Order: sequence, then C-alpha cells, then structure tokens
Amino acid sequence: MEQQHDKNSENILSLANNLRWDLGVNLHDAVVESIYEDASRIARKTVSSKGNKAAYNLERKIDQLVTSRWLGFPIMLLMLALVFWLTIAGANVPSGLLAALLLDTVHPALKSFAAAAGLPWWLDGVLIDGAYLAMAWVVAVMLPPMAIFFPLFTLLEDLGYLPRVAFNMDSLYRKAGAHGKQALTMSMGFGCNAAGVIAARVIDSPRERLIAIITNNFSLCNGRWPTQILIATIFIGGAAPAHWAGLVSAGAVVGIAVLGIGFSLAVSWALSRSVLKGEASAFSLELPPYRPPRIWQTLYTSLIDRTIFVLWRAIVFAIPAGVVIWLVANVHIGGQSLAEYFIRWADPIALLFGLNGVIFLAYIIAIPANEIVIPTVLMLTVVSAGLSGVGAGAGVMFELDSIGATEEVLRAGGWTLLTGVNLMLFSLLHNPCSTTIYTIYKETNSLKWTLVSTFLPIVLGLAICFFVTQLWLLTA
Amino acid sequence: MLMTAHPGITLLIGISGLLALAAAFWPQKGLLARIARGRLNTQRVLLEDALKFFFDCEYKNISCRLNSIAGSLHISADSATRLLSRLRSMGLIQLQEDSFRLTDAGRSYALRIIRVHRIWERYLADETSIGQMEWHGEADLKEHHLSLEAADQLAAQMGNPVFDPHGDPIPSARGELPAYTGQPLSALKEGDIARIIHIEDEPRAIYAQIVALGLYPGMQVYVMDITEERIQFAANGEECVLAPFFAANITVEKLSAREPIQQKAELLSSLKAGESATIKGLSANCRGQQRRRLMDLGIVPGAQITASFRSASGDPVAYRVLGTTIAIRKSQADNIFIERSDAKP
Repeated sequence: MEQQHDKNSENILSLANNLRWDLGVNLHDAVVESIYEDASRIARKTVSSKGNKAAYNLERKIDQLVTSRWLGFPIMLLMLALVFWLTIAGANVPSGLLAALLLDTVHPALKSFAAAAGLPWWLDGVLIDGAYLAMAWVVAVMLPPMAIFFPLFTLLEDLGYLPRVAFNMDSLYRKAGAHGKQALTMSMGFGCNAAGVIAARVIDSPRERLIAIITNNFSLCNGRWPTQILIATIFIGGAAPAHWAGLVSAGAVVGIAVLGIGFSLAVSWALSRSVLKGEASAFSLELPPYRPPRIWQTLYTSLIDRTIFVLWRAIVFAIPAGVVIWLVANVHIGGQSLAEYFIRWADPIALLFGLNGVIFLAYIIAIPANEIVIPTVLMLTVVSAGLSGVGAGAGVMFELDSIGATEEVLRAGGWTLLTGVNLMLFSLLHNPCSTTIYTIYKETNSLKWTLVSTFLPIVLGLAICFFVTQLWLLTA
Repeated sequence: MLMTAHPGITLLIGISGLLALAAAFWPQKGLLARIARGRLNTQRVLLEDALKFFFDCEYKNISCRLNSIAGSLHISADSATRLLSRLRSMGLIQLQEDSFRLTDAGRSYALRIIRVHRIWERYLADETSIGQMEWHGEADLKEHHLSLEAADQLAAQMGNPVFDPHGDPIPSARGELPAYTGQPLSALKEGDIARIIHIEDEPRAIYAQIVALGLYPGMQVYVMDITEERIQFAANGEECVLAPFFAANITVEKLSAREPIQQKAELLSSLKAGESATIKGLSANCRGQQRRRLMDLGIVPGAQITASFRSASGDPVAYRVLGTTIAIRKSQADNIFIERSDAKP
C-alpha cells in the first residue's frame, strides 16, 4: 500500500516535470508578468492616489540640479569637502580632551595606584603600559572623528543625496567593472575602512560588492591621515624651500589620497576581469525621493551601528596588541629584547624596500589600528637606537608634542627622505587593520576573500616601494 | 649583502620576480591554470564524451560513424577504434547494421552526463556572469567532475530548470527527455514562421557568429528568402542573412501562420528624457539575477515607463516606473523592448 503510494507520487512528479517541457523557456517571465497584472488590477480598483504634484516637481528640479552635467560633480566635491572639513576641524578639540584625560591623567594615576598597591613591574607594564595605553590611544584618536563623520554621512544618506552621487559616479565605476555605489563605500572608507566594508551591504550585486569590499582599503582612512601629514611635513616639506614647504607637503598628502582612489579603480578593474570574472552581477540603483532627515534617529543609529560598533571591535583587538607591543620591547633574551632581534634581522630586507626593520615590526604589532603605528614606531626607534631622554620607557607608546622633536627621533633612527616617501606609500598600501580584516570576514563569510583583501595590498605596497626605492637609488 | 648590490641588478631581479609570478598565476594562460586543465584530460573524460556524442546522434537520428567520432573528440582514427572497442567491452555500445548504437546502460550513462552538463550551463548563465561563449567549454570540463547528487542539489536550488540556456531540454533525474521536434533553420521554406528552440554551441566559430547576430532561443523568425547560397530571414523584426551551412546549427520549431509576427521593437535606451513608453519585453540576453532584479523593480511587459533625467556623466539614466525612480545603465536598457506611447507628456 505504502509502496503503491510512493510509486504514484513519483509518477505524478515525473509527469509534472515532463509537462514543464511543453511550457517552454519563458515560464518564469510569464508568472511574474501575471502577478504584476493581477496586482495592478487590484490596485486600480482599490487604491486612489491624491499625489502631491508640487512636491514631485520640486524633487525633479533638485534632481536636475544635482545630476546636471556642469554642476553635478562640483556640488558633490563641495559636499564631500564640507563633511571632511567638519570632521577634521570638529574632532581636534574632543580628541585633545580625551587624550588629556585618558593618556595624561588616568594613565599616570593608574601607574601610581599600581605602585602604591605594590604590583610587580612586569604586571604593571603589561596591563597599564601595554593593554590600557593601547586601548586608551585607540579610543582617544578614533572616537571623535568617527562620532562626527558617521552621523554627517548618514544624514546625507537619509536625505537621499548619496544615491544621486552613486548615480553620477556610476559611469566611472562601470568602466572599472564596479558599481556606482562603490563611490559611497569608498568615501565612507575615508572615515574608516571597517565602516566602508559594512557600507558595501548597499551593493546588492554579489560581484560588485566583493570588489567594493576588497578595494575599500585603498581609501586613506582617518587613522592614516595624521601619519601622512606628519611624515609629509617632516620629510617632503623639509626637502622643499621653506616658503613652499606647507603647500608641497599638503600636495603630497592629497597626492597619496588620489593615488589611493586610482589604485581602488585599477584594482577593481583587474579583479573584475580576472578572479571575480565569474561572480554573479546584477546592477540596480534606486533613487529614493528626497525627505527631511530624521535627525535623532540618524544620530542614534550612526552612533550605535557604526561608531560604537567599530570602536568596540578596535578596542577588542587593541588590548591584546598592547600587551604584545609591551612584551616585544621588554622580553629579553641574551641581553637583547625581542624587538631588537626582529629589527636587526628585518633591517637588511626592509632596506630593499626603502623602509626599515622598525617600520616592519610596527606594522605587524600595531595591526589593531593605524592610529598607533606612529607611537609604536617612535617607541621602537628609541628602543633600537638606544636613545636616552626621549619617550616614557621600553614598551610605552608615546607621541611628541613638537614635529621637530619627532623628526630628531626619526633621523636618529636612520630615516631619510626616501624612507619618508616609502612610509607614505606603505601606509596607503598595506594590510587593512585587524578590525577591518575581521569585518571583511564577517561580511563575506569567506576565508578566501578575507585573505585576498589582506595580502593583495601588502604585495602591491611592497612591490611599489621596492621599485620606487631601486629606481631612486639608480638615479641618485 | 643584498642591499649592497647595485640597484640595477636588484631591479632586474625584481622585474623577473614579477614576470615569474605573472607566468604562474595568470588566469587561463598561467602555469597553474594549465596544470589544472591538464589533469582533467583522462581516459574517462574521453569515454564520457564519446557516449555523449552517440546520444546526440541518436537523438537527432543521424547515423554515427567512426570518422565523425574521431573528428568530434579530436583524436586519431586509431584511438577512436580503441575507444570504441573499450566501450563495447564495457557493454555501453553495440554494433547494429553498420552503425553504433547505445545500449540501455550506455544511454542512461550518457543522459547522466548530459544532465550534469546542461544543469551546469544553466547555473553559469543564471547565477554567474561568465560570458555565453564560455558556458559550453566550462560545462564540458565540469560534467566529468560534478556528481549527479551535487547537480541535483544545484538544480533544486535553481528551481529545477527544464531547459539549458541554449534551449536544450535538461534530462530529468529519471533520465527522461522530450521527443525531438525541431528541424534546422536551413530546412524551412520561404514564408515559414518558426521559433528558435536551440542554437548549437559547437563548433565555436559558428556559434560565435550566431551569437554576434543577436539570435537566441525563444526568438521568432520569418523566412523571407532561401536559396542554395543564403537564407534571409527576419528575427524579431531584424533582418539577418546566414549561409545554409551556418543556419543548420540553429534548430527551430515551426509555428502556425496564425501566430502574430513580432515587430521590430524599439529599445528603452532610445527614449529621451521626458518621453514615455510601454514595456514590451526583456531580451533573453538579460538573464539570471539581472533579469529577476529588473522584473522585481517592475520592468515587466505592459508597464508604463518614463525617462526622467540623465546622470551627470550621461549613463545611467533615471527612469520612472510604478511610481519609483530607478537608474538603468545603457547596456541594460539595450535589452529592454518598448513601444512608444502616442501621447507625450
């Protein structure tokens, strides 16, 4: 009986399958078509629309303005420049306050408390100079710019302006095999690459989304701007005549950022034509109506979803990294610290790329955040060059108040103009920070694409630094 | 030691390092890609290809000879003879009169391979953006390595498709296929109306030319003139000319004269800002996710569409459909057929 039943149902299924051959190739289309037909018939019968002609006309006027041939791009650049200016100008004061509180007040207080409690020196070092300091540093330099940049960006998004930017930029990205919305994720990346990677969710085509994620790291993020500005001021500005110094170094930093955009387009192009050729692609871009932004909701979501979310991931990675940073400078084997061992060993290799062992080590151990690369470089330079009277001791990251003092430390560490140029290039073209790498893994759910996004920029960066250095030496 | 070397020498080493990397990893032509391909060419692959060829002959009622087997598999006549005797000893084919026929076991083996092949082609067409010239080659490699269970799973994910993207029926899991109803386009007479049901994807050169003409399964053709040298026909209102040798690679199904002849449709990309039209259909060249996405957005036959405004760079263009504004790239708008509304807004 049971068997008979199975047999019957199998026959019915196979008959159904055979009948589908007679229906032809366009079955799916026909089904969708009839669904739409039914839906619109029902809608015609039951829905009446008043329609706000005036509002629609105003919207059309705005659309024609922001997508016009001559004004479209200038308006876009102006808006972006405004957002960046507000971020940089607005973040300075709160960043200074946070640094004064967390680094200059709480840190010494913790140290004296530890001393009073009789904590052994190594425990005090690992916990306070290592873990706490790294975390405090990340919070002080990351929080204010993100807390300004993300809400501003979300406001523009909410207003409906950002989809128009994607609409205007699409033809450029189409030629690179990418989606116009990548212009948005790229701009977001200028704030924070991890946030840029998350923002790639707006791209619904799988291939274009992967491209946007992998190339987001080529946007010079907030954590790297200060490094670029510092090094450009010291080495590039320093090499130019005094009255041109400011302009030349500013030009160099902008040049690096533009180079990053160039790389993001070039790598998108190459990826979409090689490894990502086969990934599915479906372009679609909706242009929602303009609407007044919901300020409070925007503030809340951008602070919670973006700022706190990214900051939390950064802190989680910064704490163990702080411990490692302290340990490499303080664990000694045969009279030398681990850091010195590595730096001696890596120096000859790093010099081929116009960098040095300190930079290599700093980029490895300061992986949680680009913000702590320069403090780590300074600390390691002091340790390896045996400078005295600078900094706060082995394993304690520090920054110097004056640019001149920073320059002295770096020059004592053997830095030249060539090192400066290569550091700027390598700062643009190296692996994403651990927060971003983790975010890429979370977003793509693929180890393969995470590894590609991590190692592709390093290989590219090392290759570029190598050729720049060797050509420089050849012509020098 | 290294750093003391002359920069010219290190540069040379660097450049040769880059070249070596490129030679190893270059897609399609690199060493790794070649090695991966080379490993696939086994005896089993040849055997399965031969079975597929026999099945195709049988399905189309063509007699199958030694020479044609050797030719289609790109092997010498000697190897073909050895291959056939191996197939016979395995009980997969038998000699009937003077041509080879598949045994039942051979037929079901061939159907399994064909099922995997066509499911994979369907997958490439719908779920990836591999170009249509590459489907067949990719599926030819994959068919020998994808298990039937994996193919069944893939088919289930895609909603159990019954046709491959060339218009060929996919054998059911039980090994059934509909009867062959088509005839070559070259066999039609003047004035015949037919629908393309299949475009043969081999040989590649001929397939490339047919694809270049923009022909695809599901298209209506109307034969205008047919001579020994050429066949002239209208496909969706567009005039095409093919040599009969080429036209033989297109299989059609004759339609009764009552079916309306499809007029040449205008393309959405020809609509200027402010103009409106009714959507007539989507070209079959727009497929898979892209097609579903457009239809989900309301690009379905019968819908009203208005071109609103161009982007600052000219492409894409914003269109208004179903009360929302969506941006469509020119390459997509070229695949959407419209009929202009008489009344202009």
